[in-house]
Amino acid sequence: MRLKRFLVVETRMRAKLFFAVPLVFSTVCKPPTPAEQMDSVISWLATAGMAGDAWLRHTTPDKYTRQTLELSHDTLLQISDDLLKSRPPGTDTASLDSVLTRSRGRIAQMARLVEAKNSPAFLSQLDSLRVDEKLVKQFSDSIKSKQ
Amino acid sequence: MKKILQITLGIITSVGGFLEIGSVTTAAQAGASFGYQLLWAILLGTICLIFLVEMSGRLAAVSKHTIVDATRERFGFPFYAIVMLGMVLVAFMVLVAELGGIGLSLQILSGLGFPWWAIPVSFVVWLLMWKGTFGLIENGASLLGLVTISFVVAAVKMHPDWGSAGHGLLPTMPGDQKAKYGFIAVSILGASISPYLMYFYSSGAIEDKWDESYIPMNRIIAGFGMTFGGLLSMAVLVAAALAFQPRGIDIDKFEQAALLMTSALPKWGFYFFAFSMLFACLGAALEVSLAIAYFFAQGFGWNWSEDLEPSKDARFSFAYTIIIFLAAIPLLFGVDPIKVTLMSMALTAATLPLAIVPFLFLMNDPIYLGEHRNGWVSNSVVAIIILISFVLSVISIPLQIIGG
Amino acid sequence: MKLVRDVLDKKLIDREHCDMSRVSGLVMRVGERSQPHISHILIGGPTLWTRVHPALGRLSTRLAQLWGPKRKDLVRIPWSRVMTVGKDIKLDVKARDIGALDWEIWIAQHIIERIPGGGNKEEE
Repeated sequence: MRLKRFLVVETRMRAKLFFAVPLVFSTVCKPPTPAEQMDSVISWLATAGMAGDAWLRHTTPDKYTRQTLELSHDTLLQISDDLLKSRPPGTDTASLDSVLTRSRGRIAQMARLVEAKNSPAFLSQLDSLRVDEKLVKQFSDSIKSKQ
Repeated sequence: MKKILQITLGIITSVGGFLEIGSVTTAAQAGASFGYQLLWAILLGTICLIFLVEMSGRLAAVSKHTIVDATRERFGFPFYAIVMLGMVLVAFMVLVAELGGIGLSLQILSGLGFPWWAIPVSFVVWLLMWKGTFGLIENGASLLGLVTISFVVAAVKMHPDWGSAGHGLLPTMPGDQKAKYGFIAVSILGASISPYLMYFYSSGAIEDKWDESYIPMNRIIAGFGMTFGGLLSMAVLVAAALAFQPRGIDIDKFEQAALLMTSALPKWGFYFFAFSMLFACLGAALEVSLAIAYFFAQGFGWNWSEDLEPSKDARFSFAYTIIIFLAAIPLLFGVDPIKVTLMSMALTAATLPLAIVPFLFLMNDPIYLGEHRNGWVSNSVVAIIILISFVLSVISIPLQIIGG
Repeated sequence: MKLVRDVLDKKLIDREHCDMSRVSGLVMRVGERSQPHISHILIGGPTLWTRVHPALGRLSTRLAQLWGPKRKDLVRIPWSRVMTVGKDIKLDVKARDIGALDWEIWIAQHIIERIPGGGNKEEE
């Protein structure tokens, strides 16, 4: 008897698959506009402020607060570098740079004050940061109006 | 009355769907960037999931076969292999993100970076699966997941404008940032309508030995469980709309999201957030690990059950051991869990048709479901979900690139 | 009976109600004087992966020779041992005896039982 091996069997349903999108993709976003960069700056300044508020009310632990302030500082540094390189329209770049540098300095100082557990000095820096935030918002409005 | 205790299967499933790292960060992003405008996306995800999960449970209870069993048997191995490739790849990314989510929660509590937590966290997840039973995991994760009710308490304490929130349940177009809006909407749907939830739930029904008498209770469990998760996710969005949007904070990092409840719950808000994320991501990690191992075991016909000693279902136990170990590796190298979760949500949205289309055929197959096949209502809903899934699959990747 | 619909990829259950893998393939005998008929059920990786692509089948065979229980040939179950064909296929064999659980036992003995808490497959 001849033995014929029947190993490959058709499946009943040959489903047509619609891979509408390839599986290989990039998470690189298009470069942000100056207005979007200003939104990010405001977001991180506000984050530092909110974390500062929470720490003063003894809501958040020291380590987390310090790390979040450092993260805010580092992120702001990166965004500021990119923003100032792109020379945003409708604004005095030197003044903007000055405010941003000052804010970053305050946030770095706040991080050190958390370690030292110096609440009064921290509060003073936080209040000044709030003033800087308002100034940055004015710069942001000016840039958005020119776009 | 014993059947009502099975509600825990519904709760753990919805925790994995709505309260894991991806869902919480996108809900927080949605609230921070667009206020209440994206509540409809969570509502839509919840409704879709209620139907899909109910059907998964019904299939298992009536046929005593899981979705994976039925997929291999009905469509053959080559098709199953393609589905397996897609589903396992995406589920693996979700597992990396969940283990990372546990690590991030421990990072904000302790100050020690999440890469240092990769090995201990993976070990604990593995140990719970190695020594635990399905009941322990199901009930334990559900019980611990209840701490997420703090999101609802925080949202209510912030006195939202319920009228405006109600308007958010209907889709509206944003004034600007349309690409970002679309991206977050797709992410919310990709985070909630995750196929691994269906595979987990149908396997859980078999682990819990459901039969046809569970059909009415299955409807209640699916409905209540998914609604529970959906409401909690909405609470995160509402709280974020009130805490972050007025301050102009966009959620890019987990550290920012951790401030969610610090104004509403001054003393404990931070810790409620950290522990909610810790337990929710733990539940999700267990669920996804099991879902992947079930996918291999059921598809290949191995012995499988969380209730068995590992040596009694050796290949199944070996599978989840390897999977968990591999998932820890990217975290050791500091790969950002948030970035991984964003990619996994886009990929879930892109591969959704692969899971849902065959499922529609299975739910109408008299061999598996007899008289309990889908009626016209369920079929219509699945057809709509298929339509949504094709739209998502086309737009998810471009939106990730433009709006992400 | 329709072979593809009713037999292929179905779960196999042995005499003791133990799960023993799924039908990967079938062997058909074509004789000179008899009707073609199914003589054996095949289980195992190489047959399975060959259905996706022959190269994957060859890869599976090669890997099975390097690692694991290292069977010389595929597991073949005579069709005469099939008792019923329904949602699952019930067989009148013991899974262990025909080699259907070789991989399961190998992994249990070489890996799982060496990890604390893994248990012992022999304990019943």
